[in-house]
Amino acid sequence: MATTPQQPAVDLREPASWRRTKNQIMTVLMVLAMLLILVPLVFVLYTVISKGAGIISGQFLTASIPPNVLPASIGGMGPAVVGTLEITGLATLMAVPLGVLGAIYLNEYGKNNLLSRFIGFFADVMTGVPSIVMGLFIFSIWTLHFGFNGVGGAFALACLMLPVVIRSSQQMLSLVPDPLREASYALGSTRSRVTLTVVLPTAIGGIVSGALLAVARAAGETAPLLFTILTVTTTNTDVFNGANTALPAQIFANASSPYTGAQARAWGAALTLIVIAFILLVVARFITARFTKVGR
Amino acid sequence: MHRVRIQKAAVAGGVSLAAVALVAACSSSGSGSGGASSSASASSSSGSGGSTSANVSGTLNASGSTFQTTFQQAAIQAIKQTDPNLTVNYGGGGSGKGRTDLASGVVDFAGSDSPIPAKEVAGFKGAKILYFPVVIGPIAISYNLSGVKNLKLDGPTTAKIFDGTIKTWNDPAIKALNPGATLPSTAITIARRSDSSGTTQNFSEFLVKSAPGVWKLGSSSTISWPSNSRGGTGNGGVDSIVKSTPGAIGYVDYSDAKASNLSMASVKNSSGSFVAPSASSASAAAANATVAPDLTFSAIWASGASSYPVTYQSWDLVNAATKKAAAVKAYLSYLLGDGQKLLPELNYAPLPASIDAKAKAQLSEIK
Amino acid sequence: MSTATSNQQAGPAGALGKRRPLGDRLFQILALAAGLLVLAILILIAVTTSQQASSWFSAEGLSGVFSTAWNPSTNKFGALGFVYGTAISSLIAIIIAVPLSLGIALLLTEVVPRRWSRPIVYLIDLLAVVPSVVWGLWGILVLAPWLQKIYTSIGNGVKGTPVLGSLFGPPVSGASFFTAGLILAFMITPIITSLSREVIATVPVIDREGAYALGATRWEMIRGAVWPHSQAGIVGSILLGLGRAMGETIAAALVIGSSVQITSHLFAPGDSMPAVIANEFGEASGTFRAALIGLGVLLFALTIIINIIARSVVARSTRRSRGA
Repeated sequence: MATTPQQPAVDLREPASWRRTKNQIMTVLMVLAMLLILVPLVFVLYTVISKGAGIISGQFLTASIPPNVLPASIGGMGPAVVGTLEITGLATLMAVPLGVLGAIYLNEYGKNNLLSRFIGFFADVMTGVPSIVMGLFIFSIWTLHFGFNGVGGAFALACLMLPVVIRSSQQMLSLVPDPLREASYALGSTRSRVTLTVVLPTAIGGIVSGALLAVARAAGETAPLLFTILTVTTTNTDVFNGANTALPAQIFANASSPYTGAQARAWGAALTLIVIAFILLVVARFITARFTKVGR
Repeated sequence: MHRVRIQKAAVAGGVSLAAVALVAACSSSGSGSGGASSSASASSSSGSGGSTSANVSGTLNASGSTFQTTFQQAAIQAIKQTDPNLTVNYGGGGSGKGRTDLASGVVDFAGSDSPIPAKEVAGFKGAKILYFPVVIGPIAISYNLSGVKNLKLDGPTTAKIFDGTIKTWNDPAIKALNPGATLPSTAITIARRSDSSGTTQNFSEFLVKSAPGVWKLGSSSTISWPSNSRGGTGNGGVDSIVKSTPGAIGYVDYSDAKASNLSMASVKNSSGSFVAPSASSASAAAANATVAPDLTFSAIWASGASSYPVTYQSWDLVNAATKKAAAVKAYLSYLLGDGQKLLPELNYAPLPASIDAKAKAQLSEIK
Repeated sequence: MSTATSNQQAGPAGALGKRRPLGDRLFQILALAAGLLVLAILILIAVTTSQQASSWFSAEGLSGVFSTAWNPSTNKFGALGFVYGTAISSLIAIIIAVPLSLGIALLLTEVVPRRWSRPIVYLIDLLAVVPSVVWGLWGILVLAPWLQKIYTSIGNGVKGTPVLGSLFGPPVSGASFFTAGLILAFMITPIITSLSREVIATVPVIDREGAYALGATRWEMIRGAVWPHSQAGIVGSILLGLGRAMGETIAAALVIGSSVQITSHLFAPGDSMPAVIANEFGEASGTFRAALIGLGVLLFALTIIINIIARSVVARSTRRSRGA
């Protein structure tokens, strides 16, 4: 065989140096981003822990809320802890199933039709509604007729959570590759079965992520609760009757007070809220990881 | 398959739970009228008249003035000694919110630092609203200036400080009022409220009344302060600005200023004397105020040599036709009676005897 | 397979013309109802808030609504200053948060080994659970005083220079547009990071390997294989973050300075729509209250406009990158 004409040899060396440098710069920048975001996290946590850890005790988590003037050793934030758990819990029960169902409609049934694009667009718009306007809204349609109760607060929080859950779930559902669906249809499944048995489990990791973010936000919201649950000093376990209170509302009220006892309670409540929410998130992620398909 | 069933069940369960929750909420709270529910059984037979009745039971919801919050919290706890079944939930949120909540009927009484403005009257739909004055309190002008113990100020100088005309502490106007003090050349930092408040409203009313041609920013729950002023949320917020900024000056409720140990200025009143804020100087001011038949009055810029000129007052507003007459009467008569004894150690001022008596007499108008 | 009964429907279109099982229909109706509920809630919000704000609109008229004069004691309620404040603080938040979030998301999916990504995910979750009121309190108690010193030195450094001076020059204040934007950025980073990470993780391995096989560096692989596939999802998550930044109430109210003004100085105090609503609602009544609710309506409208713009920009670039 004649020698091949002058062809450039295949260059098996490393990529050209400026491409390699660019790659390295980008990697450094990514690490930098990670480190940068750790800075405020560490500082916030340090502030909350240093101001709030001293007051945490069994009494703090269960005792009734004392007047602001009383020192930190008296009373606690029990009603607020219970209130946060019940109200946020109820809101999650309302918003997450509804949101996921809505996302299923948008992505599986509506596809790209006018209605789904409309709903999707307005869900995006709804994420920008300030929480205080949401509170006012629920005040006019619920509290005015049914009084102050935990359910009103739960509605307000659910309205805040719903658009985030819908949009993030829809996105995750759209990322499930079509061949998976088609394979299931080919086996003779109805659409609902395809959705529930193939699509949803594949997307569950992302859906849970979005839902958790929504719950975390709802647990920390103050303004909507001001209009819907009033405030109480003793625990109210009945979420449907009577005024209630929650940790973020108490944090805000106590922190603006000049009394040191009230301020200590505010920071203790802040630490409690962060710990409760974080534990819930970790547990939820752990459970999801168990149920998620291998390979993610 | 097993996992599928779990997930299906979870979705179905979540939806049905939500549905059940909704239905239950509608059916159970639908029976209660607008306002708090639970046992509103006014089982007190001795509840008639103005005397404190033992063993009134029920739940009262209230919102409004944050100035009253400290007092309300103490009273709510204290009344449990005599009426353990009476629960009062005081939500704060501002006088405007309180009045609106009362007009909508979601609260049983509202705390308000000012009478109902004319434009809001229509919202009450002709209902008869009773004013019960419950607490008096001075507004302290706090400052952070090391070495200056007893700062003296008058209306016009204060106005010029707070609108930014006077910029440093060694300004001639301040020097003229404080001949003996060594005033540094530090810049003045104005500490004011970033949220709307009755304290701002009454403080600005003082400036309007005491410095008529000088103060141009009007009187309102929120003022267009100079842009280099620093805003704090709540009295606590203003407190912390004053505490942490040398050269700062701000206006705070006296009870909160005492809690933060701030230095307070003596203010020149309408009779020409410089008076320091205290419970007695505040009561003196209130005693000299002209009280209208409906029990509204203003203690700001009151006459009298020992009156503190920046004193204000707060009322609890009640609908005369309230459905919780017994509980409301019991609680209010506590506030007007034994409750007044709580005020001095909270650093408020009790009502002057004459006003207290008139308020107690008005209790009988709650049917 | 051979037990396919006449009830079983093959394919989504039901081409075989047999009746669909009840469960399937019910599910579809349920899903549709959920979707419509979102719309219904939104319409209700728009209607009730507009109703309550109507007295403001009629009192001020269009020119009054968009004026800069906001003076409750003289009954003047012009909203422009607050619109500006919301726009600026949200813009700053997005400019800071997007590179940070995408950097972290890419780090988690491309660079960090699987073992290590779990703890980092938890760290981001920790960032997400900090309540907004705590961000606000920390912002005003800790961050603002510290930033004030930094702003002062930067301000003195650039004083007088043409562009930088008007952006970063004095007057400066710890509580300012920039501080609010910074706090908002910290709050929306978890959202954008988490969702983007999920989106990026679904890029098919084949695409990635293909890029590597062609000799791409990791960064080039990201640009060539990951980005086109996840573009829409990432933009969606950014829009969610933006919505949150624009609507965040308590944190903004505490750190933005509550001194409404339209100025180019980013280190100066300002005010934004949700912040002023939260701050002033307690004492407001009559036209004042209607004006505050009206600000909520304006924010609604602003969000709609921004979403429309964002979507059309994305649609155009998607068309371009996907090719014909």
